[in-house]
Amino acid sequence: MTQERPLLAVQAALKKCFLAVQQQQGLWQSTLADCRPLLAALRNLAEQLQAAQNLRFEDVPSLRAFPGLQERLRRKQLEAGDTALDKLGERLAALLKVRDTVSSHVGQVLQIYEQHADTLGIDAVLQASVLSPSVADMLEWLQDIERHYRSSYLKRKYLLSSIHWGDLANTQALPKAWDRISEDEHQDLVQDTLLNVSFFLEE
Amino acid sequence: MISAKKCQQIPAAKTLGSATPRKPVLSVSARKIKDNAADWHNLILKWETLNDAGFATANNIANTKISLLSDDKIELESSSPAFDENAEQRPREYSKELEALCEELQATLDGLTKIQVKMEKLSSTTKGVCELENYHYGQDSKRPLLFHTWPTAHFYEASRQLSDMYGAELLLKRTIVEELAHTTDHDLTLTYLSLWLHQPYVQSNSKLLLESMLLETGHRAL
Repeated sequence: MTQERPLLAVQAALKKCFLAVQQQQGLWQSTLADCRPLLAALRNLAEQLQAAQNLRFEDVPSLRAFPGLQERLRRKQLEAGDTALDKLGERLAALLKVRDTVSSHVGQVLQIYEQHADTLGIDAVLQASVLSPSVADMLEWLQDIERHYRSSYLKRKYLLSSIHWGDLANTQALPKAWDRISEDEHQDLVQDTLLNVSFFLEE
Repeated sequence: MISAKKCQQIPAAKTLGSATPRKPVLSVSARKIKDNAADWHNLILKWETLNDAGFATANNIANTKISLLSDDKIELESSSPAFDENAEQRPREYSKELEALCEELQATLDGLTKIQVKMEKLSSTTKGVCELENYHYGQDSKRPLLFHTWPTAHFYEASRQLSDMYGAELLLKRTIVEELAHTTDHDLTLTYLSLWLHQPYVQSNSKLLLESMLLETGHRAL
């Protein structure tokens, strides 16, 4: 009995952590979905800015009567761009929060594991059953998940910080670059892992 | 929407002799200015709605135009006699669609024009209130404020600025409606659309002007 108690404590902590990951993954996905229209808006704006730049307003007879039009339009376009960027910044902050929440949960599980590591014994840690993967596997998966959120967040933050209005081609390619981040990483990592532990979570 | 006519005057007779403190009755001028502020709010809201609808139509015009142009190109490239029947029918159908869209955009422009006329009227009634006040007080510098901090002339100035912005914007939109369907240049088409959407003559401070007018007249709580 006394041997089982540490195992139960670690398993309970693992369960709690996976449930938290499940919830955070929902937030992560919905936040990424919220980013899509904003990225599309930025791409459109970059196209509009490019078109207006290619145009010589003074050569367009119908627009000649409007003073300062090109500059006014540019100002408005950039304002709209800043608004979209601000909103993206808010989404990015939400992604950061997911990353930190997951990290803190994973950190707690590791701490609990370390507290009991000596009494648990290596056999118990490595033993898997039909219903439950081994503690060692689950700890490893959680660390993979944590790493996944960290790197994905960093890549997205880096991409957004690279936007500037002097480089319109880059801004027009933004949605594609954003999608490439998802494609490059193992997108289903979290979902697959949650499937692997679904029986364990229902236990 | 802010209801313009809600700031009713309490009849004096009813409140005579009543011991409870009552809301101060707005002067006729103040009521007029307060109603105008609410009208400004509602007109700008209507303008924005029409502007969005007009943008959707203008977008459709641009897209129809692009597909029409690419169809023409294909027909030029494959101008074998076998295609002649289709070639004559197709563009006409497309033009009909384009024509309908242009009429729709024209109707939107008419709606915007009506709004702008009403805006002008708001400006001129505010000017009227100012002139009445001038007549009443002459050179007397100790005029009572109608509300909190704004002298009456301030309302006219704000109205005038807003009217001018929307007036200039309307002229630009009229040009876009006239030119959009006749443009073949991609950059110019996109720029017309962008101009419609971003309304370069409605400056960013228009919101500030409107909101401070609503705040001053008590439509917005401090």
